Amino acid sequence: MSKVVEISPTTRHEGHSKLVLKVNDEGIIERGDWISITPVRGLEKLCIGKTMHQAPKISSRVCGICPIAHTLAGIGAMEASIGCEIPQDAYLLRLILQCANKLHSIALHDILALPDMYIPGTETKINPFTAEEPVRTVAKRIQRLREIGQTIGEIAGGEPVHPSNPRVGGMYYNISPQAKQKLFDLAKEALPMAIAQMDFMNAVFKNFEKRETVTVGKTTVDMPKEFGYHNQGYMAVDSIFQSSSLDFDPKWDPNRWTDVTPWDWYMGECEVSLEDPDYPIGGTSKIGTKAWPQMQACTSIPLYDGQPVEVGPRARMVTFKNFDHKGAMGQNIAREMEYPDCLYTIIDALDALDCNGSVLADEIPQGDGSLGWNANEAPRGTDVHLAKVKDGRVQMYNLLVPTTWNFPTCSRALEGAPWQLAEVIVRAYDPCVSCATHMLVVDENKKIIAQKLVQ
Amino acid sequence: MDMLGKYKTCVAARSTSSEILKSSQDGGIVTQMFIYALEEGIIDGAIVAGPGDEPWKPKPMVATTPEEILAARGTRYNISPNMAVIKESVRKYGLDKVGIVGTPCQMQALRKAQLYPVGMRYVTDKIALAMGIFCMENFSYQSMKQIVEDHCNVDLHSLKKTDIGKGKYWAYTNRGAVSQIPLKVTHKYEQPGCHVCLDYVANMGDISTGSVGSPDGWSTVFVRSTNGDNIWKKAVEAGVFEVKAIDSVKPGLDLVTKLATEKITKNQKELEHRAKMGVNKGLRNPYI
Repeated sequence: MSKVVEISPTTRHEGHSKLVLKVNDEGIIERGDWISITPVRGLEKLCIGKTMHQAPKISSRVCGICPIAHTLAGIGAMEASIGCEIPQDAYLLRLILQCANKLHSIALHDILALPDMYIPGTETKINPFTAEEPVRTVAKRIQRLREIGQTIGEIAGGEPVHPSNPRVGGMYYNISPQAKQKLFDLAKEALPMAIAQMDFMNAVFKNFEKRETVTVGKTTVDMPKEFGYHNQGYMAVDSIFQSSSLDFDPKWDPNRWTDVTPWDWYMGECEVSLEDPDYPIGGTSKIGTKAWPQMQACTSIPLYDGQPVEVGPRARMVTFKNFDHKGAMGQNIAREMEYPDCLYTIIDALDALDCNGSVLADEIPQGDGSLGWNANEAPRGTDVHLAKVKDGRVQMYNLLVPTTWNFPTCSRALEGAPWQLAEVIVRAYDPCVSCATHMLVVDENKKIIAQKLVQ
Repeated sequence: MDMLGKYKTCVAARSTSSEILKSSQDGGIVTQMFIYALEEGIIDGAIVAGPGDEPWKPKPMVATTPEEILAARGTRYNISPNMAVIKESVRKYGLDKVGIVGTPCQMQALRKAQLYPVGMRYVTDKIALAMGIFCMENFSYQSMKQIVEDHCNVDLHSLKKTDIGKGKYWAYTNRGAVSQIPLKVTHKYEQPGCHVCLDYVANMGDISTGSVGSPDGWSTVFVRSTNGDNIWKKAVEAGVFEVKAIDSVKPGLDLVTKLATEKITKNQKELEHRAKMGVNKGLRNPYI
């Protein structure tokens, strides 16, 4: 007899979401739905009619952890629609900004992921707030890595949170030779720290994966062999940066993408029949609580070739580097492996950057309403923005954000795990729920939602 | 009210560099201080009022070389929004130790940003040296143009220096002519926002300087903060300034106090007037 347990809200990730889980008598998940319950802000709708310069600055405010992804993808989509090629030095500054943001984001996720993990070889869980070693050194290293990431982003992008420097047609300014030297020094400082951090984190994740049992609150559960495995595909457009419809050989295809409503993908109405008041901290939802993932989910379900796909660091590693570590820990390990890449790319880009180069296209067309898209490899995966610009105004704007792609995929990956570990799987996706929940379904799907609402 | 603000020492001083004094407004204090601080690594760049697109129109700029600092010498009697580039200085220019020069209101803006950094992330801990300059009032560019070209009858392109002193507005040309008009005729051109200002000698600067109180070619200098004091002492020790006690020069602090009192009393009255501007209503008072 399967029971339903609900973890609401989930913690240690960005935004507001919950887990509705159907479990068997052993507490193993038979079917899990991980859904966003962040209120829809509807920026795709409100951007219509605004200028192409304003819309990406609005979409930046979707998320404060990865605003760079939304700014760059948004601006890239506008540039793709109007057919504007940006100068090389503007491209390099954007690349530096992108990598700086990824550096800070990975480090931030380390803090969120660590409390699930054990100090290798011990039964002690890691508390990043403790003043005791070895955790203190690690926490300090994470702080410094984030500080460096944000400082590099601040100089190359104008602001580390909601970058002000990028604009349609390039950048507002180039940086001075002095600033370039500062970035170079910071990247050099961060590189050995990032490698040490990567090694530490990967040791911790591999140790977790090999464990027989894991304790959550007062419960000890068996660690499944295939923890967080799923059979969905992967999608990535670049190992570091982006692809756009302006490219000679675009790596993403809008024709392979479709969108469905949560109605077609999630569970129907159900009632919570299992409760654990000891689930840390504050327990799970009360028995008798009604849950209705189909109706409560605040995202749409984007599909690629008719299926949900996984995006993110592992998808990039699988697509471009033949990475083959599956499961939740594989996901985490792939993320850590991106640390050095970020810094090597920053250093290379700084070498190539000409501080006297122009950073603004000579001509910025106003657009004729054709469709353009830009897919940015955000820290959490492929962030595709599609736009139509005519006479400088946005006619259509659509965001397909990494965590939106991952929501249904991750829901499938929950199967086979003890429900107490569901959040560990979710965290492996480094979810950014406010990123995911930015949308209104604006085409014919909207009618479907309306119909279901009436029923 | 304390008319001259808090300060540790007050002296009359001028730069020992004849190169700087060649076209400085008074004693070349700000230029000399920034060049010294730049060379000593106390700052790695300074926000100054550099040359603008039109003659005698200042443009705030981030100077990172002595040449750029020298180019900003001389008073331009119209608005230069120096605080506008403060973020740029730590972003685009990547500065860690910022010097900034400004009028009393700009020093206030700077200190407010340091205490209440709204939209001023990563800026406020990087302010290394704030140089305040005395300011009675300011003009818009159009006002200055009107005063110099119409009232003084001097073309802005041939203007070499302007000065306000001894109750007159002075215009000196490159070819040696001098014209002067009574300050009374300039009053209507003043920037209205200056009429509620209660600060004459840049009370919020690390170091404040101006012409009033010292002889021509010299400046009156207030050393205010601990930071300012340390830098000033080092600079004097290094011999970049010639210093006299303020009570050994004419007209001395008495005149400074007198002018400061005049400015503050007058503008206090304006504030009180604005509070009762309408019938049963008034205009906003930013000080309350």
